[in-house]
Amino acid sequence: MATPAFPTSFVPGPLWGNGPTPGQVYNFPGAATAPDQWGTQRTLNPSVTTTSVLAVKYKDGVVMAADMLGSYGSLARYRNCPRLQKINDKTILGCSGDYADFQFLSNIINQRVVEEECLNDGFSYTPPGLHSWLTRVMYNRRSQFNPLWNTYLVGGIHQEKPFLGYVDKIGIAYEADTIATGFGAYLALPILRDAVEKNKKMEEKQAVELIDRCMKLLFYRDARSLNKYQVAVVTKKGSEIRGPIVSEANWEIAHMVKGYE
Amino acid sequence: MSILAYNGAAIIAMKGKDCVAIAADRRFGVQAQTVSMDFDKVFEMGPHLFVGLPGLATDVQTISQRLKFRLNLYELRENRRIKPQTFMSMVSNLLYERRFGPYFVEPVIAGLDSKTNQPYIASMDLIGCPMITDDFVVSGTCSEQMYGMCESLWEPDLSPDDLFETISQALMNAFDRDALSGWGGVVYIIEKDKVTKKLLKTRMD
Amino acid sequence: MEAMAMMPYQQEQTNHIERPIQHRFSPYDFNGGTVLAIAGEDFAVIASDTRLMTGFSILARDVPKTTQYTTNTVVGSCGFHGDVLTLTKVIQTRLKMFTYLHQKEMDTSSVAAMLSTVLYYRRFFPYYVYNIVAGIDTEGKGCVYSFDPVGSYERETYRAGGSASSMLQPLLDNQIGMKNQEGAKQVPLAKAKAVALVKDVFTSAAERDIHTGDAVCIHVITKQGTTKETYPLRRD
Repeated sequence: MATPAFPTSFVPGPLWGNGPTPGQVYNFPGAATAPDQWGTQRTLNPSVTTTSVLAVKYKDGVVMAADMLGSYGSLARYRNCPRLQKINDKTILGCSGDYADFQFLSNIINQRVVEEECLNDGFSYTPPGLHSWLTRVMYNRRSQFNPLWNTYLVGGIHQEKPFLGYVDKIGIAYEADTIATGFGAYLALPILRDAVEKNKKMEEKQAVELIDRCMKLLFYRDARSLNKYQVAVVTKKGSEIRGPIVSEANWEIAHMVKGYE
Repeated sequence: MSILAYNGAAIIAMKGKDCVAIAADRRFGVQAQTVSMDFDKVFEMGPHLFVGLPGLATDVQTISQRLKFRLNLYELRENRRIKPQTFMSMVSNLLYERRFGPYFVEPVIAGLDSKTNQPYIASMDLIGCPMITDDFVVSGTCSEQMYGMCESLWEPDLSPDDLFETISQALMNAFDRDALSGWGGVVYIIEKDKVTKKLLKTRMD
Repeated sequence: MEAMAMMPYQQEQTNHIERPIQHRFSPYDFNGGTVLAIAGEDFAVIASDTRLMTGFSILARDVPKTTQYTTNTVVGSCGFHGDVLTLTKVIQTRLKMFTYLHQKEMDTSSVAAMLSTVLYYRRFFPYYVYNIVAGIDTEGKGCVYSFDPVGSYERETYRAGGSASSMLQPLLDNQIGMKNQEGAKQVPLAKAKAVALVKDVFTSAAERDIHTGDAVCIHVITKQGTTKETYPLRRD
């Protein structure tokens, strides 16, 4: 909980309600930055967070989507947080969870991609390669009790075939045809799985429409979501990030939902 | 550790063709220490009606006595044999009366209907939530093992002899993988015109 | 004592803040899965289901928990999937180093011995993984080794591990160990019968254990090598 940074017998009160105390690190409401006895800080809980990422493999590629909201607890604080990243022509990365941790790892990956391209040897990071590397980074951080509070999805094309992989903050990793993180795992994943099972040779247009429908659904039912989102598409021809896309919501029937007051 | 697992027990009831069986282990122990190997956990509640009570031994005996008492009152008042279905409600009621300070038993009921001779089995949790099935029910400290055995060995329409073999094998192999139950077994095969009680000699370690 | 003196101030600070449910970091998870291995006279069978779970969610339906390590050694590992992946990677690296050094594959018994030390190395921050090693020993006989998460192990003729192990093990005692069967003779187990039994018991386990299902992946190991087959289970 809120342990003072400097353990002295005198602890002054906060400067203002919920505010910092003199000589203390600011404590986020509803969260504790717990300095341990050596004075290092660890993410023991996330602060600015992002919600679901959805992804689906189709006949000749991968579609991935994520909205652009950065939440601060229940406050919708930042409305322009891109969290789909183009790694190269064959690889894209999506992230949910703590946004600062994502930016930290994103910077490292970008630097590695630049160094890799400087070699100009015709090689580049492959989707399974990046996925495997992320697995080790996430597992190592969890083993040091200093996790990166994220779930990553890696999408791309590898050896002419679509690739889609998952890694989370404790190092669980797998590949699958459809993946959704966070709330999407409960709300969108059943719809994605059903669509893919019924249509094994899905076209890009259908996959994008499917993802769009699920993003709208999440906007309706996930309280930590936004109707502004990005969509990433990878095919043999290359990778691109589209958006921001704004989904049009219809709240006409909202007044009929009663009984939760 | 749960109070339900303080003394240890394993009980199964199974349906066959025009017959039912109920089987139990015979151990009475206090946690890891075995105290006796002739403890009754299955009680006769009528000519074709039995109840198995796995759980805290003191409650097993209390419940068996209170049930017999209520059953006697019912049969005197009604002047007829109780139906297994009705008896199940009686057990459920008795347990739910102690909803917030329960008896630590999870009963199993097996019997033939007093009029139609239809087989009937049921089990319930310690506050009396019943589960009526048409294959088998299990209860006790090795319920997972018993589910594994029953799910593989049981088949519909077993004859009384086959039912005895099935329920015995299910029980013995299940409690041999549990430290808290075993040390002998007892099986009741309930048919229209007879009830057979058989004692099982098992490994005692 | 000092901490006690600070308590009133802290409570004043924290009590009036309405906190959401605090999520404390846990480095472990349980991702389900069941493994099962049977040793025959000149073969071994090892199987695992292919469901990957967390909580009540199914993450994926096609992730077998078995890994082939050498021509005649297959290991089943389940528990926390992050540790499973890491352990598998460590073992495979060690095996590669061994083959480069000795110009031959490691024996099944040696894989088992090495796995034990690799597990014990993490005695105080264990790999939360249940392992079963199956293969052919140096005399050409089928062998199965079962492990606990910190490396204690023994050779056996059959073993079930993971989430439905308590459902499967008594059945194996009965059907393969011939336990509680009076006057029954121990006849050598036929390969086809072992595979049929594996399918049967996994179907039963999937019936009652929510962590087991989707499909079962069965490896049959002989001196010649390994064959693999998958058999569907219920998906709910």
